[in-house]
Amino acid sequence: MGVALPPRATAAVTDEDFNALKNQVQQLNSTVQGLQQEHQQDQQTIQQLRDQLGQTQTLATNAVQKAEAAQAQATPGPSARHNFTMAGDAEVQFSKAAGQHGGFALADFAPIFLYRANDNILFEAGFDTSLDSGGNTTFSMSFGQLDYVWNDYVTVVAGDMLLPLGTYNIRSAGWLTKIPDAPLVDDQILPGSGVGAQLRGGIPIGDTGQMLTYSVYGVNGPGAGDSTTGDAFQSTNSPSVGSPNLDLGGNLTSPNEHPDPSGGGRVGWFYPWKPHYDVELGISGQSGEWGYVGNHLWSAAVLDAAVHISPYFEAKGEYANTWYGTDASGTIHPHGWWVQASYKLAGLNLELPVVNDLELVGRYDRLNDGLGTKTDRYTAGLVYYFTDTLWFESDYEYLSSHGPNAMPPNEVIAQISYGF
Amino acid sequence: MKLIQRKQRTVGWRATTLLGAAVIGLSLALAQAQPPAKSGGSKKPEPKKVRHDLTGEELYQINCNRCHSERYPTEFTAAQWQTIMLEMRVRANLPAEQSRKILEYLQQDSGN
Ligand code: HEC
Repeated sequence: MGVALPPRATAAVTDEDFNALKNQVQQLNSTVQGLQQEHQQDQQTIQQLRDQLGQTQTLATNAVQKAEAAQAQATPGPSARHNFTMAGDAEVQFSKAAGQHGGFALADFAPIFLYRANDNILFEAGFDTSLDSGGNTTFSMSFGQLDYVWNDYVTVVAGDMLLPLGTYNIRSAGWLTKIPDAPLVDDQILPGSGVGAQLRGGIPIGDTGQMLTYSVYGVNGPGAGDSTTGDAFQSTNSPSVGSPNLDLGGNLTSPNEHPDPSGGGRVGWFYPWKPHYDVELGISGQSGEWGYVGNHLWSAAVLDAAVHISPYFEAKGEYANTWYGTDASGTIHPHGWWVQASYKLAGLNLELPVVNDLELVGRYDRLNDGLGTKTDRYTAGLVYYFTDTLWFESDYEYLSSHGPNAMPPNEVIAQISYGF
Repeated sequence: MKLIQRKQRTVGWRATTLLGAAVIGLSLALAQAQPPAKSGGSKKPEPKKVRHDLTGEELYQINCNRCHSERYPTEFTAAQWQTIMLEMRVRANLPAEQSRKILEYLQQDSGN
Protein backbone atom coordinates (compact mmCIF):
# COMPACT_ATOMS: atom_id res chain seq x y z
CA MET A 1 0.00 0.00 0.00
CA GLY A 2 2.78 2.32 0.98
CA VAL A 3 4.09 1.82 -2.49
CA ALA A 4 0.92 3.33 -3.88
CA LEU A 5 1.45 6.58 -1.98
CA PRO A 6 3.04 9.32 -4.06
CA PRO A 7 6.49 10.09 -2.78
CA ARG A 8 5.43 13.71 -2.40
CA ALA A 9 3.09 12.84 0.37
CA THR A 10 5.90 11.31 2.41
CA ALA A 11 7.94 14.24 1.89
CA ALA A 12 5.15 16.61 2.89
CA VAL A 13 4.87 15.24 6.56
CA THR A 14 7.17 17.09 8.81
CA ASP A 15 8.62 15.66 11.95
CA GLU A 16 6.59 18.21 13.90
CA ASP A 17 3.35 17.02 12.37
CA PHE A 18 4.28 13.42 12.97
CA ASN A 19 5.07 14.02 16.60
CA ALA A 20 1.84 15.96 17.14
CA LEU A 21 -0.12 13.15 15.57
CA LYS A 22 1.73 10.58 17.65
CA ASN A 23 0.95 12.53 20.81
CA GLN A 24 -2.69 12.67 19.88
CA VAL A 25 -2.77 8.93 19.23
CA GLN A 26 -1.10 8.28 22.57
CA GLN A 27 -3.59 10.55 24.35
CA LEU A 28 -6.47 8.79 22.68
CA ASN A 29 -4.97 5.48 23.68
CA SER A 30 -4.76 6.39 27.34
CA THR A 31 -8.26 7.85 27.23
CA VAL A 32 -9.55 4.56 25.82
CA GLN A 33 -7.67 2.65 28.50
CA GLY A 34 -9.17 4.91 31.16
CA LEU A 35 -12.61 4.34 29.73
CA GLN A 36 -12.01 0.63 29.64
CA GLN A 37 -11.03 0.65 33.30
CA GLU A 38 -14.06 2.71 34.19
CA HIS A 39 -16.22 0.31 32.24
CA GLN A 40 -14.79 -2.62 34.13
CA GLN A 41 -15.37 -0.86 37.43
CA ASP A 42 -18.91 -0.03 36.40
CA GLN A 43 -19.50 -3.64 35.50
CA GLN A 44 -18.23 -4.72 38.89
CA THR A 45 -20.40 -2.17 40.64
CA ILE A 46 -23.41 -3.33 38.64
CA GLN A 47 -22.69 -6.93 39.57
CA GLN A 48 -22.34 -6.00 43.23
CA LEU A 49 -25.60 -4.09 43.07
CA ARG A 50 -27.26 -7.06 41.42
CA ASP A 51 -25.96 -9.35 44.17
CA GLN A 52 -27.16 -6.95 46.84
CA LEU A 53 -30.54 -6.67 45.21
CA GLY A 54 -30.81 -10.45 45.18
CA GLN A 55 -29.92 -10.63 48.84
CA THR A 56 -32.39 -7.88 49.71
CA GLN A 57 -35.10 -9.70 47.83
CA THR A 58 -34.41 -12.95 49.68
CA LEU A 59 -34.38 -11.08 52.98
CA ALA A 60 -37.64 -9.36 52.16
CA THR A 61 -39.27 -12.64 51.17
CA ASN A 62 -38.04 -14.27 54.36
CA ALA A 63 -39.27 -11.36 56.42
CA VAL A 64 -42.70 -11.53 54.85
CA GLN A 65 -42.86 -15.27 55.43
CA LYS A 66 -41.77 -14.88 59.02
CA ALA A 67 -44.22 -12.06 59.63
CA GLU A 68 -47.02 -14.17 58.21
CA ALA A 69 -46.02 -17.15 60.32
CA ALA A 70 -45.79 -14.96 63.43
CA GLN A 71 -49.16 -13.43 62.70
CA ALA A 72 -50.67 -16.88 62.36
CA GLN A 73 -49.27 -17.87 65.75
CA ALA A 74 -49.78 -14.74 67.77
CA THR A 75 -52.91 -14.01 69.78
CA PRO A 76 -54.71 -11.04 68.30
CA GLY A 77 -52.97 -8.05 69.82
CA PRO A 78 -52.23 -7.39 73.47
CA SER A 79 -54.91 -8.61 75.84
CA ALA A 80 -57.32 -6.05 77.21
CA ARG A 81 -56.67 -4.67 80.68
CA HIS A 82 -60.26 -5.09 81.76
CA ASN A 83 -62.13 -8.32 81.82
CA PHE A 84 -65.48 -9.36 83.13
CA THR A 85 -66.16 -13.03 83.72
CA MET A 86 -69.10 -14.75 85.28
CA ALA A 87 -68.78 -18.11 86.99
CA GLY A 88 -70.70 -19.90 89.69
CA ASP A 89 -72.95 -22.84 90.28
CA ALA A 90 -76.52 -24.00 90.45
CA GLU A 91 -78.16 -26.71 92.55
CA VAL A 92 -81.42 -28.47 93.02
CA GLN A 93 -81.72 -30.29 96.30
CA PHE A 94 -84.11 -32.92 97.53
CA SER A 95 -84.26 -33.84 101.19
CA LYS A 96 -86.26 -35.98 103.50
CA ALA A 97 -85.64 -35.90 107.22
CA ALA A 98 -87.14 -38.42 109.63
CA GLY A 99 -90.64 -37.41 110.66
CA GLN A 100 -90.93 -34.83 107.92
CA HIS A 101 -92.24 -34.90 104.38
CA GLY A 102 -89.68 -35.20 101.69
CA GLY A 103 -89.48 -32.81 98.81
CA PHE A 104 -87.40 -30.46 96.83
CA ALA A 105 -85.85 -28.42 99.54
CA LEU A 106 -83.81 -25.95 97.61
CA ALA A 107 -83.22 -24.55 94.20
CA ASP A 108 -80.19 -22.43 94.15
CA PHE A 109 -78.42 -20.27 91.63
CA ALA A 110 -75.14 -18.83 92.84
CA PRO A 111 -73.36 -16.68 90.30
CA ILE A 112 -69.91 -15.26 90.95
CA PHE A 113 -69.03 -12.03 89.21
CA LEU A 114 -65.37 -11.46 88.55
CA TYR A 115 -64.19 -8.09 87.35
CA ARG A 116 -60.49 -7.66 86.65
CA ALA A 117 -59.42 -4.04 86.39
CA ASN A 118 -55.81 -4.78 85.49
CA ASP A 119 -53.14 -7.40 86.18
CA ASN A 120 -53.35 -6.89 89.93
CA ILE A 121 -56.87 -5.85 90.81
CA LEU A 122 -59.87 -8.12 90.99
CA PHE A 123 -63.34 -7.57 92.31
CA GLU A 124 -65.23 -10.74 93.11
CA ALA A 125 -68.76 -11.03 94.36
CA GLY A 126 -70.76 -14.16 94.98
CA PHE A 127 -74.52 -14.12 95.19
CA ASP A 128 -77.02 -16.68 96.24
CA THR A 129 -80.49 -16.75 94.79
CA SER A 130 -82.47 -19.55 96.26
CA LEU A 131 -85.94 -20.81 96.49
CA ASP A 132 -86.44 -22.68 99.74
CA SER A 133 -89.03 -25.26 100.72
CA GLY A 134 -91.24 -22.54 102.16
CA GLY A 135 -91.59 -21.08 98.69
CA ASN A 136 -89.53 -18.07 99.64
CA THR A 137 -87.01 -16.66 97.27
CA THR A 138 -83.99 -15.22 98.97
CA PHE A 139 -81.26 -13.21 97.38
CA SER A 140 -78.10 -12.63 99.32
CA MET A 141 -74.49 -11.77 98.81
CA SER A 142 -72.26 -14.51 100.15
CA PHE A 143 -69.11 -12.45 99.63
CA GLY A 144 -68.04 -9.31 97.85
CA GLN A 145 -64.38 -8.52 98.03
CA LEU A 146 -61.69 -6.49 96.36
CA ASP A 147 -58.34 -8.24 95.86
CA TYR A 148 -55.23 -6.21 95.19
CA VAL A 149 -52.03 -8.09 94.49
CA TRP A 150 -49.64 -5.72 96.22
CA ASN A 151 -46.50 -7.67 95.40
CA ASP A 152 -45.26 -11.26 95.02
CA TYR A 153 -45.92 -12.07 98.66
CA VAL A 154 -48.81 -9.92 99.78
CA THR A 155 -52.36 -9.58 98.49
CA VAL A 156 -54.64 -7.06 100.15
CA VAL A 157 -58.29 -8.07 100.41
CA ALA A 158 -61.12 -5.86 101.61
CA GLY A 159 -64.89 -6.07 101.76
CA ASP A 160 -67.25 -8.80 102.83
CA MET A 161 -64.63 -11.50 102.77
CA LEU A 162 -64.71 -15.26 102.99
CA LEU A 163 -62.89 -16.02 106.22
CA PRO A 164 -60.03 -18.49 106.44
CA LEU A 165 -61.28 -19.98 109.70
CA GLY A 166 -60.62 -23.56 108.80
CA THR A 167 -60.88 -24.20 105.07
CA TYR A 168 -64.44 -25.32 104.46
CA ASN A 169 -66.11 -21.96 103.98
CA ILE A 170 -63.48 -20.57 101.68
CA ARG A 171 -63.47 -23.76 99.60
CA SER A 172 -67.08 -24.49 98.98
CA ALA A 173 -69.51 -24.39 96.10
CA GLY A 174 -72.09 -26.91 94.93
CA TRP A 175 -69.63 -28.55 92.55
CA LEU A 176 -66.78 -28.59 95.07
CA THR A 177 -68.19 -30.13 98.19
CA LYS A 178 -68.87 -33.82 97.84
CA ILE A 179 -71.69 -33.81 100.36
CA PRO A 180 -74.52 -31.29 99.83
CA ASP A 181 -74.71 -30.01 103.39
CA ALA A 182 -71.89 -28.39 105.32
CA PRO A 183 -70.15 -29.97 108.28
CA LEU A 184 -71.93 -29.03 111.51
CA VAL A 185 -69.14 -26.86 112.87
CA ASP A 186 -68.94 -24.79 109.71
CA ASP A 187 -72.68 -24.56 109.45
CA GLN A 188 -73.36 -23.66 113.06
CA ILE A 189 -70.46 -22.36 115.07
CA LEU A 190 -67.98 -20.70 112.67
CA PRO A 191 -68.62 -17.51 110.69
CA GLY A 192 -68.25 -17.94 106.92
CA SER A 193 -67.56 -14.35 106.03
CA GLY A 194 -66.88 -11.04 107.67
CA VAL A 195 -66.59 -7.38 106.78
CA GLY A 196 -63.08 -6.04 107.07
CA ALA A 197 -59.64 -6.22 105.54
CA GLN A 198 -57.07 -8.93 105.10
CA LEU A 199 -53.49 -9.53 104.02
CA ARG A 200 -52.71 -12.91 102.50
CA GLY A 201 -50.13 -14.69 100.41
CA GLY A 202 -47.84 -17.64 99.97
CA ILE A 203 -44.13 -18.19 100.21
CA PRO A 204 -42.59 -21.04 98.20
CA ILE A 205 -40.25 -23.40 100.03
CA GLY A 206 -37.69 -24.96 97.72
CA ASP A 207 -38.66 -25.80 94.16
CA THR A 208 -40.98 -28.75 94.56
CA GLY A 209 -44.20 -26.78 95.00
CA GLN A 210 -44.06 -26.79 98.78
CA MET A 211 -45.27 -23.57 100.36
CA LEU A 212 -46.20 -21.72 103.50
CA THR A 213 -49.37 -19.69 103.28
CA TYR A 214 -50.71 -16.99 105.58
CA SER A 215 -53.78 -14.82 106.02
CA VAL A 216 -54.27 -12.17 108.66
CA TYR A 217 -57.39 -10.09 108.99
CA GLY A 218 -59.49 -7.68 110.98
CA VAL A 219 -63.30 -7.91 110.75
CA ASN A 220 -66.32 -6.60 112.57
CA GLY A 221 -66.69 -10.04 114.07
CA PRO A 222 -69.70 -11.62 115.68
CA GLY A 223 -72.22 -9.26 117.18
CA ALA A 224 -75.37 -9.34 119.20
CA GLY A 225 -77.85 -10.40 116.59
CA ASP A 226 -80.95 -8.55 117.52
CA SER A 227 -80.63 -4.98 118.60
CA THR A 228 -84.24 -4.75 119.76
CA THR A 229 -84.09 -7.46 122.37
CA GLY A 230 -80.79 -6.27 123.69
CA ASP A 231 -78.76 -8.75 125.61
CA ALA A 232 -81.81 -10.92 126.05
CA PHE A 233 -79.93 -14.14 126.20
CA GLN A 234 -77.39 -12.86 128.58
CA SER A 235 -80.02 -11.97 131.11
CA THR A 236 -81.64 -15.39 130.88
CA ASN A 237 -80.38 -17.77 133.45
CA SER A 238 -81.07 -20.92 131.56
CA PRO A 239 -79.15 -21.09 128.31
CA SER A 240 -81.45 -23.81 127.08
CA VAL A 241 -84.48 -21.54 127.01
CA GLY A 242 -83.53 -19.85 123.81
CA SER A 243 -80.62 -19.57 121.48
CA PRO A 244 -78.11 -16.94 122.41
CA ASN A 245 -78.33 -13.52 120.92
CA LEU A 246 -75.10 -14.16 119.07
CA ASP A 247 -74.90 -13.34 115.38
CA LEU A 248 -71.96 -14.98 113.68
CA GLY A 249 -72.68 -13.14 110.48
CA GLY A 250 -70.44 -10.38 111.70
CA ASN A 251 -71.49 -8.20 108.84
CA LEU A 252 -72.48 -4.58 108.77
CA THR A 253 -74.35 -4.10 111.98
CA SER A 254 -74.78 -0.94 113.96
CA PRO A 255 -71.49 0.01 115.53
CA ASN A 256 -72.51 -0.52 119.12
CA GLU A 257 -73.18 -4.19 118.58
CA HIS A 258 -69.51 -4.98 118.80
CA PRO A 259 -67.38 -2.29 120.36
CA ASP A 260 -64.10 -3.40 118.77
CA PRO A 261 -63.31 -5.36 115.66
CA SER A 262 -62.02 -8.91 115.85
CA GLY A 263 -58.63 -10.07 114.61
CA GLY A 264 -57.79 -13.41 113.13
CA GLY A 265 -55.65 -15.37 110.72
CA ARG A 266 -54.51 -18.68 109.37
CA VAL A 267 -51.11 -20.20 108.69
CA GLY A 268 -50.95 -23.20 106.39
CA TRP A 269 -48.30 -25.58 105.16
CA PHE A 270 -48.74 -27.34 101.84
CA TYR A 271 -46.44 -30.21 100.98
CA PRO A 272 -46.85 -31.98 97.63
CA TRP A 273 -44.41 -34.78 96.93
CA LYS A 274 -45.66 -35.34 93.43
CA PRO A 275 -48.73 -34.27 91.44
CA HIS A 276 -51.89 -35.57 93.18
CA TYR A 277 -49.98 -36.56 96.30
CA ASP A 278 -49.96 -33.93 99.01
CA VAL A 279 -50.59 -32.97 102.61
CA GLU A 280 -51.88 -29.66 103.88
CA LEU A 281 -52.05 -28.57 107.51
CA GLY A 282 -53.48 -25.33 108.82
CA ILE A 283 -54.10 -23.54 112.05
CA SER A 284 -56.44 -20.58 112.29
CA GLY A 285 -58.11 -18.44 114.89
CA GLN A 286 -60.11 -15.33 115.57
CA SER A 287 -60.85 -13.30 118.64
CA GLY A 288 -62.72 -10.13 119.49
CA GLU A 289 -65.48 -8.60 121.52
CA TRP A 290 -69.10 -9.36 120.87
CA GLY A 291 -72.32 -8.05 122.40
CA TYR A 292 -73.35 -4.54 123.31
CA VAL A 293 -71.44 -3.94 126.43
CA GLY A 294 -68.15 -5.08 125.09
CA ASN A 295 -67.01 -7.00 128.10
CA HIS A 296 -67.04 -10.44 126.51
CA LEU A 297 -64.93 -12.09 123.90
CA TRP A 298 -65.89 -14.44 121.12
CA SER A 299 -62.87 -16.55 120.11
CA ALA A 300 -62.24 -19.48 117.82
CA ALA A 301 -59.34 -21.85 117.18
CA VAL A 302 -59.42 -24.27 114.27
CA LEU A 303 -57.06 -26.96 113.02
CA ASP A 304 -57.49 -28.24 109.48
CA ALA A 305 -55.84 -30.99 107.48
CA ALA A 306 -56.17 -32.45 104.01
CA VAL A 307 -54.43 -35.34 102.24
CA HIS A 308 -54.46 -36.49 98.63
CA ILE A 309 -53.05 -39.86 97.71
CA SER A 310 -53.38 -40.44 93.96
CA PRO A 311 -56.00 -38.62 91.88
CA TYR A 312 -58.62 -40.86 93.51
CA PHE A 313 -58.30 -40.63 97.26
CA GLU A 314 -58.88 -37.60 99.43
CA ALA A 315 -59.26 -37.17 103.19
CA LYS A 316 -59.79 -33.95 105.09
CA GLY A 317 -61.12 -32.60 108.32
CA GLU A 318 -61.35 -29.78 110.82
CA TYR A 319 -61.26 -29.54 114.58
CA ALA A 320 -62.88 -26.36 115.90
CA ASN A 321 -63.22 -24.81 119.31
CA THR A 322 -65.06 -21.58 120.02
CA TRP A 323 -65.69 -19.71 123.25
CA TYR A 324 -67.84 -16.78 124.14
CA GLY A 325 -68.50 -15.09 127.41
CA THR A 326 -71.95 -14.26 128.76
CA ASP A 327 -73.03 -12.51 131.95
CA ALA A 328 -75.55 -15.15 132.92
CA SER A 329 -73.90 -18.40 131.95
CA GLY A 330 -70.22 -17.74 132.01
CA THR A 331 -68.16 -18.94 129.10
CA ILE A 332 -70.01 -21.05 126.55
CA HIS A 333 -67.82 -23.46 124.63
CA PRO A 334 -69.28 -24.75 121.34
CA HIS A 335 -66.87 -27.19 119.71
CA GLY A 336 -66.69 -30.09 117.34
CA TRP A 337 -64.85 -31.76 114.51
CA TRP A 338 -65.34 -33.69 111.31
CA VAL A 339 -63.42 -35.93 108.96
CA GLN A 340 -64.35 -36.82 105.42
CA ALA A 341 -62.83 -39.37 103.08
CA SER A 342 -63.66 -40.05 99.48
CA TYR A 343 -62.55 -42.42 96.77
CA LYS A 344 -63.12 -42.26 93.02
CA LEU A 345 -63.87 -45.74 91.74
CA ALA A 346 -62.04 -44.97 88.51
CA GLY A 347 -58.96 -45.79 90.59
CA LEU A 348 -59.95 -49.46 90.51
CA ASN A 349 -59.42 -49.56 86.74
CA LEU A 350 -62.54 -51.63 86.24
CA GLU A 351 -63.31 -49.96 82.92
CA LEU A 352 -67.01 -50.14 83.70
CA PRO A 353 -68.99 -47.19 82.35
CA VAL A 354 -71.06 -46.15 85.37
CA VAL A 355 -68.69 -47.31 88.06
CA ASN A 356 -65.88 -45.32 86.51
CA ASP A 357 -67.81 -42.10 87.11
CA LEU A 358 -68.68 -42.79 90.74
CA GLU A 359 -67.05 -41.50 93.88
CA LEU A 360 -67.82 -42.87 97.32
CA VAL A 361 -67.78 -40.46 100.22
CA GLY A 362 -68.13 -40.80 103.98
CA ARG A 363 -68.07 -38.24 106.77
CA TYR A 364 -68.18 -38.23 110.52
CA ASP A 365 -69.33 -35.07 112.29
CA ARG A 366 -69.49 -34.17 115.93
CA LEU A 367 -70.85 -31.03 117.49
CA ASN A 368 -71.38 -29.89 121.04
CA ASP A 369 -73.17 -26.57 120.76
CA GLY A 370 -72.21 -25.55 124.29
CA LEU A 371 -75.88 -25.11 125.13
CA GLY A 372 -76.66 -28.68 126.02
CA THR A 373 -77.09 -30.30 122.62
CA LYS A 374 -74.66 -32.94 121.42
CA THR A 375 -74.81 -34.43 117.96
CA ASP A 376 -72.94 -37.21 116.22
CA ARG A 377 -73.66 -37.51 112.53
CA TYR A 378 -72.57 -40.27 110.17
CA THR A 379 -72.92 -39.57 106.48
CA ALA A 380 -72.42 -42.02 103.64
CA GLY A 381 -72.97 -41.11 100.04
CA LEU A 382 -71.91 -41.09 96.47
CA VAL A 383 -71.20 -38.64 93.74
CA TYR A 384 -71.95 -39.47 90.14
CA TYR A 385 -70.02 -37.33 87.68
CA PHE A 386 -71.90 -36.62 84.47
CA THR A 387 -69.01 -34.29 83.72
CA ASP A 388 -66.35 -32.79 85.98
CA THR A 389 -68.73 -30.06 87.08
CA LEU A 390 -72.15 -31.63 86.62
CA TRP A 391 -72.79 -33.95 89.54
CA PHE A 392 -75.47 -35.99 91.11
CA GLU A 393 -74.93 -36.44 94.84
CA SER A 394 -76.91 -38.64 97.14
CA ASP A 395 -76.37 -39.19 100.86
CA TYR A 396 -77.83 -40.89 103.85
CA GLU A 397 -77.22 -39.30 107.24
CA TYR A 398 -77.66 -41.04 110.51
CA LEU A 399 -77.72 -38.78 113.57
CA SER A 400 -77.52 -39.35 117.25
CA SER A 401 -78.55 -36.02 118.68
CA HIS A 402 -79.58 -35.20 122.23
CA GLY A 403 -80.52 -31.98 123.94
CA PRO A 404 -82.84 -29.02 123.55
CA ASN A 405 -81.82 -28.39 119.94
CA ALA A 406 -81.67 -32.06 118.88
CA MET A 407 -81.68 -32.77 115.17
CA PRO A 408 -83.85 -35.44 113.46
CA PRO A 409 -82.41 -39.00 113.70
CA ASN A 410 -81.83 -39.39 109.99
CA GLU A 411 -82.03 -37.61 106.69
CA VAL A 412 -81.71 -38.40 103.03
CA ILE A 413 -80.36 -35.71 100.73
CA ALA A 414 -79.94 -35.76 97.00
CA GLN A 415 -78.64 -32.96 94.88
CA ILE A 416 -77.79 -32.12 91.34
CA SER A 417 -75.18 -29.44 91.07
CA TYR A 418 -73.52 -27.74 88.20
CA GLY A 419 -70.48 -25.50 88.19
CA PHE A 420 -69.98 -23.08 85.33
CA MET B 1 -65.66 -15.01 137.77
CA LYS B 2 -65.67 -11.53 136.38
CA LEU B 3 -62.03 -11.14 137.23
CA ILE B 4 -61.05 -14.34 135.50
CA GLN B 5 -62.97 -13.35 132.42
CA ARG B 6 -61.26 -9.98 132.38
CA LYS B 7 -57.95 -11.72 132.53
CA GLN B 8 -58.83 -14.18 129.78
CA ARG B 9 -59.92 -11.30 127.70
CA THR B 10 -56.68 -9.40 128.06
CA VAL B 11 -54.64 -12.50 127.34
CA GLY B 12 -56.77 -13.26 124.32
CA TRP B 13 -56.37 -9.79 122.96
CA ARG B 14 -52.70 -9.74 123.65
CA ALA B 15 -52.23 -13.04 121.84
CA THR B 16 -54.29 -11.89 118.88
CA THR B 17 -52.50 -8.57 118.70
CA LEU B 18 -49.11 -10.25 118.92
CA LEU B 19 -49.99 -12.81 116.27
CA GLY B 20 -51.44 -10.10 114.07
CA ALA B 21 -48.41 -7.86 114.52
CA ALA B 22 -46.07 -10.75 113.81
CA VAL B 23 -47.81 -11.71 110.58
CA ILE B 24 -48.15 -8.11 109.40
CA GLY B 25 -44.48 -7.57 110.24
CA LEU B 26 -43.51 -10.68 108.34
CA SER B 27 -45.50 -9.72 105.30
CA LEU B 28 -44.12 -6.18 105.31
CA ALA B 29 -40.59 -7.54 105.61
CA LEU B 30 -41.26 -9.86 102.71
CA ALA B 31 -42.78 -7.02 100.76
CA GLN B 32 -39.52 -5.10 101.03
CA ALA B 33 -37.30 -8.12 100.53
CA GLN B 34 -35.02 -8.37 97.52
CA PRO B 35 -34.78 -11.63 95.64
CA PRO B 36 -31.74 -13.53 96.93
CA ALA B 37 -28.60 -12.68 94.97
CA LYS B 38 -27.40 -15.37 92.62
CA SER B 39 -24.26 -16.82 94.19
CA GLY B 40 -22.16 -16.84 91.04
CA GLY B 41 -18.72 -18.40 91.35
CA SER B 42 -19.29 -19.77 94.81
CA LYS B 43 -16.90 -22.48 95.93
CA LYS B 44 -19.55 -25.08 96.63
CA PRO B 45 -20.10 -27.41 93.68
CA GLU B 46 -23.63 -27.75 92.36
CA PRO B 47 -25.53 -30.56 94.07
CA LYS B 48 -25.41 -33.81 92.16
CA LYS B 49 -29.16 -34.38 92.10
CA VAL B 50 -30.57 -33.03 88.89
CA ARG B 51 -33.48 -30.80 89.71
CA HIS B 52 -35.62 -28.89 87.34
CA ASP B 53 -37.97 -26.04 88.03
CA LEU B 54 -41.53 -27.25 87.97
CA THR B 55 -43.27 -26.43 84.70
CA GLY B 56 -46.60 -24.66 84.49
CA GLU B 57 -48.25 -27.96 83.67
CA GLU B 58 -46.77 -29.69 86.72
CA LEU B 59 -47.76 -26.81 88.98
CA TYR B 60 -51.25 -26.98 87.52
CA GLN B 61 -51.41 -30.71 88.30
CA ILE B 62 -50.16 -30.13 91.83
CA ASN B 63 -52.44 -27.23 92.72
CA CYS B 64 -55.51 -27.11 90.56
CA ASN B 65 -57.44 -30.13 91.66
CA ARG B 66 -56.92 -30.21 95.35
CA CYS B 67 -59.94 -28.02 96.16
CA HIS B 68 -62.09 -29.06 93.22
CA SER B 69 -62.10 -31.30 90.19
CA GLU B 70 -59.83 -30.25 87.38
CA ARG B 71 -60.89 -27.39 85.10
CA TYR B 72 -59.46 -27.63 81.61
CA PRO B 73 -57.54 -24.96 79.68
CA THR B 74 -60.03 -25.04 76.81
CA GLU B 75 -62.95 -24.10 79.07
CA PHE B 76 -62.06 -20.40 79.08
CA THR B 77 -60.41 -17.80 76.88
CA ALA B 78 -56.95 -16.43 77.59
CA ALA B 79 -58.45 -13.23 79.03
CA GLN B 80 -60.89 -15.14 81.24
CA TRP B 81 -58.05 -17.32 82.51
CA GLN B 82 -56.13 -14.25 83.53
CA THR B 83 -59.12 -13.17 85.60
CA ILE B 84 -59.81 -16.60 87.07
CA MET B 85 -56.16 -17.17 87.90
CA LEU B 86 -56.13 -13.91 89.83
CA GLU B 87 -59.10 -15.22 91.81
CA MET B 88 -57.54 -18.66 92.36
CA ARG B 89 -54.19 -17.18 93.27
CA VAL B 90 -55.89 -15.30 96.09
CA ARG B 91 -58.04 -18.28 97.13
CA ALA B 92 -55.12 -20.68 97.22
CA ASN B 93 -52.47 -18.20 98.43
CA LEU B 94 -50.33 -19.23 95.46
CA PRO B 95 -46.86 -17.72 95.24
CA ALA B 96 -46.51 -15.23 92.36
CA GLU B 97 -44.10 -17.23 90.22
CA GLN B 98 -46.23 -20.35 90.40
CA SER B 99 -49.44 -18.62 89.42
CA ARG B 100 -47.65 -16.91 86.54
CA LYS B 101 -46.42 -20.24 85.18
CA ILE B 102 -49.82 -21.87 85.59
CA LEU B 103 -51.47 -18.97 83.77
CA GLU B 104 -49.02 -19.33 80.88
CA TYR B 105 -49.79 -23.02 80.68
CA LEU B 106 -53.55 -22.42 80.68
CA GLN B 107 -53.35 -19.64 78.11
CA GLN B 108 -51.30 -21.75 75.71
CA ASP B 109 -54.19 -24.15 75.28
CA SER B 110 -57.05 -21.80 76.08
CA GLY B 111 -60.28 -21.76 74.13
CA ASN B 112 -61.35 -18.91 71.87
C1 HEC C 1 -57.81 -23.26 97.88
C2 HEC C 1 -58.72 -24.00 97.08
C3 HEC C 1 -58.61 -23.84 95.58
C4 HEC C 1 -57.52 -24.10 94.79
C5 HEC C 1 -56.15 -24.60 95.22
C6 HEC C 1 -57.93 -23.83 93.43
N1 HEC C 1 -59.24 -23.45 93.39
FE1 HEC C 1 -60.33 -23.04 91.75
N2 HEC C 1 -61.95 -22.68 92.89
C7 HEC C 1 -62.00 -22.74 94.28
C8 HEC C 1 -63.34 -22.41 94.72
C9 HEC C 1 -63.79 -22.37 96.17
C10 HEC C 1 -64.10 -22.16 93.56
C11 HEC C 1 -65.60 -21.87 93.42
C12 HEC C 1 -66.10 -20.71 94.02
C13 HEC C 1 -65.53 -19.42 93.54
O1 HEC C 1 -65.19 -19.25 92.37
O2 HEC C 1 -65.48 -18.55 94.37
C14 HEC C 1 -63.20 -22.33 92.44
C15 HEC C 1 -63.58 -22.15 91.12
C16 HEC C 1 -62.77 -22.34 90.03
C17 HEC C 1 -63.20 -22.21 88.65
C18 HEC C 1 -64.60 -21.88 88.16
C19 HEC C 1 -64.75 -20.47 87.82
C20 HEC C 1 -64.80 -19.58 89.02
O3 HEC C 1 -64.09 -18.59 89.01
O4 HEC C 1 -65.55 -19.86 89.96
C21 HEC C 1 -62.11 -22.44 87.87
C22 HEC C 1 -62.04 -22.41 86.38
C23 HEC C 1 -61.01 -22.74 88.77
N3 HEC C 1 -61.44 -22.68 90.07
C24 HEC C 1 -59.73 -23.04 88.35
C25 HEC C 1 -58.66 -23.29 89.21
C26 HEC C 1 -57.30 -23.46 88.77
C27 HEC C 1 -56.81 -23.39 87.34
C28 HEC C 1 -56.56 -23.70 89.88
C29 HEC C 1 -55.06 -23.92 89.98
C30 HEC C 1 -54.29 -22.76 90.08
C31 HEC C 1 -57.47 -23.68 91.03
N4 HEC C 1 -58.72 -23.43 90.57
C32 HEC C 1 -57.09 -23.94 92.34
C33 HEC C 1 -60.97 -23.10 95.10
C34 HEC C 1 -59.69 -23.43 94.69
